[in-house]
Amino acid sequence: MSKKMSISKAIGEALHEEMVRDEKVIIMGEDMGKMGNVFGITVGFQEEFGMHRVYDTPISESGFCGMAVGAAMRGIRPVVELMYDDFITVAADPILNQAAKMRYMTGGQATVPMVLRLPMGAGRRNAGQHSQCLENMFCHTPGLKVVAPSTAEDAKGLLKSAIRDQDPVIFMEHKLLYAKKEQVPEGEYTIALGVADVKKEGSDLTVITWSRQVYFALEAAEELEKEGIHIEILDLRTLVPLDWDSIVKSVSKTHHVIVLSEEVKRGSYASEISAQIAEELFDELDAPVERVCGLNIVSPFSPTLEDENFPHPADIVKAVKKVLNK
Amino acid sequence: MASKEYSKDMLKNFYSTMVRIRAFETKAAECFTKGMLAGNIHLCIGQEAAAAGAMAAMEQEDYMATTHRGHGHCVAKGGDTKKMLAELFGKKTGYCKGKGGSMHIADVDGLHSLGANGIVGAGIPIATGSALASKIYGDRHVTVCMFGDSASNQGTFHEAINMAAAWKLPVVFFIENNSYGVSTNIHSVINTENLSIRAKAYGIPGKTVDGTDPRIVYEAVKEAVDYARAGNGPSIVECKVFRYQGHYCGDPAVYRPKEYLEEGMANDCIEKMKKVLLKNGVSQEEITAMDQAAHDELEEAYVFANESEYPDPSEATTEVYFSDNERSVVR
Amino acid sequence: MAFEVKMPQLGLTMEEGTVSKWLKHEGDTVKTGEVLLEITTDKLTSEVESEYTGILLKIVAQEGEDIPVKGILAYIGESGEQVESSEASAAVQAVSAGEAPVPTPVPVQQTGGRIRISPLAKKTAAKLGVDYTALVGSGPMGRIIQKDILTASEKKAEIHPSGLPTPPMPQKNTIPSALELMEGDEVVTLSGMRKVVAERMTKSAQQIPTVTQNMKIDVTNLMALRKKINQDLGVKYSLNDYILKATAKALKNNKHMLVSLDGDKIIKRAHVNIGMAVALDDGLIVPVIKDADRMSLGEISEKAKDLAERARSNKLNMDEYKGSTFSISNLGMFGIETFDPIINQPDAGILGVCAVNDELVMDAEGNITKRQVMRISYTLDHRLVDGATAAKFQLAIKELLENPMQILL
Repeated sequence: MSKKMSISKAIGEALHEEMVRDEKVIIMGEDMGKMGNVFGITVGFQEEFGMHRVYDTPISESGFCGMAVGAAMRGIRPVVELMYDDFITVAADPILNQAAKMRYMTGGQATVPMVLRLPMGAGRRNAGQHSQCLENMFCHTPGLKVVAPSTAEDAKGLLKSAIRDQDPVIFMEHKLLYAKKEQVPEGEYTIALGVADVKKEGSDLTVITWSRQVYFALEAAEELEKEGIHIEILDLRTLVPLDWDSIVKSVSKTHHVIVLSEEVKRGSYASEISAQIAEELFDELDAPVERVCGLNIVSPFSPTLEDENFPHPADIVKAVKKVLNK
Repeated sequence: MASKEYSKDMLKNFYSTMVRIRAFETKAAECFTKGMLAGNIHLCIGQEAAAAGAMAAMEQEDYMATTHRGHGHCVAKGGDTKKMLAELFGKKTGYCKGKGGSMHIADVDGLHSLGANGIVGAGIPIATGSALASKIYGDRHVTVCMFGDSASNQGTFHEAINMAAAWKLPVVFFIENNSYGVSTNIHSVINTENLSIRAKAYGIPGKTVDGTDPRIVYEAVKEAVDYARAGNGPSIVECKVFRYQGHYCGDPAVYRPKEYLEEGMANDCIEKMKKVLLKNGVSQEEITAMDQAAHDELEEAYVFANESEYPDPSEATTEVYFSDNERSVVR
Repeated sequence: MAFEVKMPQLGLTMEEGTVSKWLKHEGDTVKTGEVLLEITTDKLTSEVESEYTGILLKIVAQEGEDIPVKGILAYIGESGEQVESSEASAAVQAVSAGEAPVPTPVPVQQTGGRIRISPLAKKTAAKLGVDYTALVGSGPMGRIIQKDILTASEKKAEIHPSGLPTPPMPQKNTIPSALELMEGDEVVTLSGMRKVVAERMTKSAQQIPTVTQNMKIDVTNLMALRKKINQDLGVKYSLNDYILKATAKALKNNKHMLVSLDGDKIIKRAHVNIGMAVALDDGLIVPVIKDADRMSLGEISEKAKDLAERARSNKLNMDEYKGSTFSISNLGMFGIETFDPIINQPDAGILGVCAVNDELVMDAEGNITKRQVMRISYTLDHRLVDGATAAKFQLAIKELLENPMQILL
């Protein structure tokens, strides 16, 4: 049995279920309480769970992220939201230097079981400080786990696993997916971190991707099917830990790879995956790994400019043909 | 001036803690100078009374977060000098198995020390978060956050104290004002005589006290801890101390006028405390015995640290993650 | 449509060939298998046979021209057939292996000497036993991709209707052969001592900047003394024994010749351990006379003889051909007049000993006398030893050999 709901609702459901299940789960962030979050994810939570579990924080990202670290070290499970992932720059120290490193630097004593939810991505005409995809920054930093789901079902199951995880988890939600309505299974379920999902099977080329680009890849796949090209779409879902086994399996089947993401191409996590495939699956490749990413520019404001900055289905079709030499 | 009456034992405890801290720092400096320690160390010689007084005002179960200049707080909180020194050596018997070092000694479950921190001001929100946890749990633990005058100019100082005040969290912000942030005199970067005056802006209590007398520090912190434990929220306690050494061990501190050190030495907290002890009926023999005990303790700690083994190189890739560590480290 | 005659690829490394001689001329009738022309590569001359029967319509590549592999040499067709000008002018064309001629740009691998092949295609080629060196890739920039290997493999299977699997490609560590075999040639795998010698000589020659300095030595007195001692004492000391002894003595007094380079360090050797090259039927070995400077002539003679004999009968212990700090190679008995010996690493020098010949020598007074003269060819590692220093060492040997009593003292 399943029910249809938006991805934002699925995320809200995961939060709600976990707050009911575990009293140590708290929510912190800007406008999470009274307003119930700008996307309506936590509407009614503060009334239901009380002021001591749902915090409307001041505009103090560094402060409340740092507090989440301290609370988590004491066993609380804070689920913190930065209104936009771009704001990580003002909360870089508590996340990248404190949360990520605490376990290692204390010789394994401390755990920081917090989740940092990050609405991300371009397409809402919000310009350069509210549109970035910063997966690379988090994946680069040892100690953080990074999740970036694409579907409602995955978002709910993965968020529940992230909240129960003992490590700090960065949970990246694409803003343009929030309103997407999809089927979500009824009842309690979780999806393990670090397991990729083949969203479409194919034999000719593997598109490794995550988050919103999964949908673009699916559109491209439809287009390519008409020409007899069958691509496989591997939705990583979790970026760290990386489901390498699934990558090996798919690449060994198709021998052609595109890594697709909305990030700035230079230094992206897509680049990292591309490098790993080149290093370790060299003999499986019939063509170089192609990265299809955003441009090396500031995310622009004007619609005509912004649309230039992230891959569209047509770009994917073009890249697939290039790699397949067709 | 101290206002309370103190038992002989309590006075002896103050003194003993102070000489143990100084013995630790002296030993650490000796090892550092001999090239036995990895990295850098930041010593609190001269500031011992602040640590001894503040920790005496806390209960065993209370939490603390400290800084890069945090050895003294750890000793005063009851830290095992063997494990501390071993950590400075980078040995596997250290508090953090050699993965943190001088600036990161932590003992979360044992000492309730959330750890020292290498980022100036980073401990303030962490301590505040710990206080938030206490508030959520409804336990009676207070968290004392130690930091220096320079950390008070970080944004985290404002952000965390503001939230602690708004949500009445059980935390004490304990500033050890030694007048210098590395080489920069605090008065060249602030426009007030004291830092505790900022408490007014947050609507919380704040006071500045002499940090060279453990009794005075004790009284101020005790008041703040009791206030927090009673559910009234945070306070700022600023104590004025002297940092005898430079910023780090080996820093000649040429940026300071010589009067700074002269004034510090004239007010040496240990020398002053000795006189207090003698005046209160503690014999010279008892004082000498405490000095000797501290000395012996550190000799033992030195042998332990020196003879301990370094972590096996394979330990480098462990404990980055709680779960799925291997997979998360490989790629 | 005329057939193209193309420059064949005669080995992995061949990039182009020179048309040396046309044996057939325009208008001649040619048959499949008939020799059309001769081409030369770096060292070899080869014949190019016709793959077609017909009339040699046009010779595109003239004698003396260098033509890249797969470049067009000529056209063969039917009598009266016109060669299209575009075909004729396309002196350099390439086609997919075995397929109908399709003009494509010259694959980069043929001009650059490196074969562009995808990793997967390479792996597949190894698995299916497809020789891809002559394939033309259909991928970007002429890259051979898996499809090309699969196509080639299918074609091969058609040629072998027996269906027997084709032998797999040589695995790594074997070097693909590049030489054309000629009538009567025998192929022997490089192995054993020959292989070790080949590797060590190559390494030494590649790593060490050497200088070889020849010096003439008057050995008349030495030869006379040797004869006398052999007669008087009833012994059989060879000239080589005296040279070994003299060299050991000279080395003892010139310890700076005994050095080895180890990365960024120079090792100053404490011992005078002289390696002595011994020729064997299938190679050579260099047993070592340890601490030769502390041995008498008789001891050296005995040791040298023993080592040489046991070397030839393959009875040396491992430590007997290790630890040299200097080496001597004597080719005098073969009448060699000078040569450039290759240093036996990690030594910094090797002394080549040449034949003794009679020469007429004019003394200060202008008297011409017959003298016995021998040359020594000393090769030095110029990273460690300089020419003048080495010359002084050679002079020390000369001094001893020309005043042989000093050898014995």
